[in-house]
Amino acid sequence: MSALKATLCLGAALGLAAAAHARPVSYPGGWTVMQRNTSTFSSLHLHYSPTFKDSIGVYGEQNWDGDWSFAGGQYNRLLKRWNAPKSQANLYFNLGAGYAETFEGNESGAAGFAGFAADWETRRWFTSYSVRGYDLGFDQDVHHTARLGVAPYIGDYGDLHTWLMVEVHNLPEADTPTTVTPLVRFFYGVQLVEIGYTPETERFMANWIIRF
Amino acid sequence: MMKPILMALALSATAPVALAEAPASEASLPADATLITAKVNGMVCDFCAQAVTAMFNKDEAVEAVEVDLDNGEIRVTLKGGAAMVDDRVEELVTKSGYDLVEILRATA
Repeated sequence: MSALKATLCLGAALGLAAAAHARPVSYPGGWTVMQRNTSTFSSLHLHYSPTFKDSIGVYGEQNWDGDWSFAGGQYNRLLKRWNAPKSQANLYFNLGAGYAETFEGNESGAAGFAGFAADWETRRWFTSYSVRGYDLGFDQDVHHTARLGVAPYIGDYGDLHTWLMVEVHNLPEADTPTTVTPLVRFFYGVQLVEIGYTPETERFMANWIIRF
Repeated sequence: MMKPILMALALSATAPVALAEAPASEASLPADATLITAKVNGMVCDFCAQAVTAMFNKDEAVEAVEVDLDNGEIRVTLKGGAAMVDDRVEELVTKSGYDLVEILRATA
């Protein structure tokens, strides 16, 4: 009961109602490839989980709003998980360090980022919130992302799962600071694919995750 | 912008897909086999099911694993004559990232 209470408190604190990005940690010995293409950036993250609480890997990002690219290592840590009979909630920390460069190549140097992410998920509902701050030397950014999702039907393990979601992304320095992206998530076997569209920027979102 | 998207979709179409294994039940148990049902908290999606399946399959005593997300159950069929103590079941559930609630056992 206390776990459920904590879960509800976390969800309320986030001010959201359901749907998380894919978890940045896997089971011990598990590998994950996460590729994202949104209205503001494209990224690739490959990580390995030595325990269910940790993952370490490489991360690369092309940021279309800031006109810069980043390449480096990333560490993810599950700070806390709340397991309830019908839900799960998580709090994560992530840290990255590497090298950043503007598209023009006129500025570059050591760079890093740090962030927190939280999610709450049932088989029907999904919510998430994440914040990440970048220090690129030549630029500093703070991104906020929140999601709400619902599964129109509940499938069994091994079935094709479908989620309808909305993602809100905020980057105060961007040309369009806040964007709202409706998307569809398809989850089958070890693969997860998301397709969305951002009206404010007239760009498609396409994300893909595979775990093995 | 479109190139990485197309590459990702092409890769996803060719990548292996892990599906749930054949259901385990008392009636279908082979001779000398044991069926362990672990009731757990926190299993809400297929990634959860894949995690516990992968963890239990690492144990040599395990013949098959079935996950029932509706009821929060992991059903583990052991090989004939093999055994798995409760502490080991709890260890595998915990290392997968979930909380063990109860263990039920049945033998052929």
